[in-house]
Amino acid sequence: MKRTYQVAGHKFAVVMPDENKAWDEMIPYQPFVCEDADDALFTAELLDVMPDISDKQKVIVCCDGADMPRVELYEWQGQWLMEIAPLMEAPIRFYIISDKAFSKAQFRVLGSLRFSVNTVLMMMYAFATARKNTLLMHASVTVREGKGYLFLGRSGTGKSTHSQLWIKNIEGCSLLNDDNPILRVMENGEIRVFGSPWSGKTPCYKNDNVPVGAFVNLRQAKKNAIRRLSLPEAYAAMCMSFSGYRFIREMADGFHATNEKVVSTVPFYLLECLPDAEAAWLCHNTVTQ
Amino acid sequence: MKTRKGFVLRSLGREYILVAEGLEVTDANKMLSLNESAAFLWKAVEGKEFDTDTLINLLMEEYGISREVAEKDVTPLLQIWKNAAVITD
Repeated sequence: MKRTYQVAGHKFAVVMPDENKAWDEMIPYQPFVCEDADDALFTAELLDVMPDISDKQKVIVCCDGADMPRVELYEWQGQWLMEIAPLMEAPIRFYIISDKAFSKAQFRVLGSLRFSVNTVLMMMYAFATARKNTLLMHASVTVREGKGYLFLGRSGTGKSTHSQLWIKNIEGCSLLNDDNPILRVMENGEIRVFGSPWSGKTPCYKNDNVPVGAFVNLRQAKKNAIRRLSLPEAYAAMCMSFSGYRFIREMADGFHATNEKVVSTVPFYLLECLPDAEAAWLCHNTVTQ
Repeated sequence: MKTRKGFVLRSLGREYILVAEGLEVTDANKMLSLNESAAFLWKAVEGKEFDTDTLINLLMEEYGISREVAEKDVTPLLQIWKNAAVITD
């Protein structure tokens, strides 16, 4: 069975056997189902047998921390091969074989279906949209008066907590996405943020989008303080907050073009904060001006 | 001296930024912002062997300034590049 989804305007298709349990993991994707289309950016197909990959050539191993996934990237028969483990020291739990253009992927799951299906689709989405003014972000997004505010920061900094502080303390706030929203530079130059089927531990899968009001990079501190970031600081903070392989030159060029437009258009702040209501108000009063 | 492989010069409005993008650079989040003359020098010597005099001569020629003035720009710039490890000896 094949199903097509549209996330932030970009379509992709998933192909898996009808009765496969993996379809149970596609519930967060329901709001994004669309008509089958020829213009899908990529197709991801579940494999039940792995080909012989013993002649693979290692390119790089990426891991951002002990409790973060580890991705081993290889070249194999003119394609990319990615072997992925849920943690730095964990064994490989699934494989992706993709063409170099990231338009067609096959994946083989050994471990958790949820982790595998979500990771395959997120990675393929990030790679396939890299040259299309699109970034798969790592952020929590709160909406207030029709504008989206993206809270950025390393894992464990309190992005979700800060969103919750806005929602609890400031009237009229709602959550758009809690972990992986999509950012797009529209044809008219407007920067918009979109909900996605990927929202971390919070079930918030909204097929909705709003213009971006501001970005706020969060850092834990003993007292609350906020300041506007310079262009290079904003650029660097953005680079820490989206997914992709910058050593693939075409991808890096795409990311740079998008990032430059984003940081030149939308204000960017650094909030040093405690997890308290005062932090939410200080941030709100500054960034919604 | 030589510029390190893996760093890509990107323009950012009127500013410039050196971004570690290549597989050769292990600290993938490394960045250094450059002004216009530093970016000019980087482009001129990228991938080539150079020394302090190379940079001084390039600045003198490009901006029509004296050796003394060019030296005052180049000395701190080289220190910044060395500290940021974007060049090797």
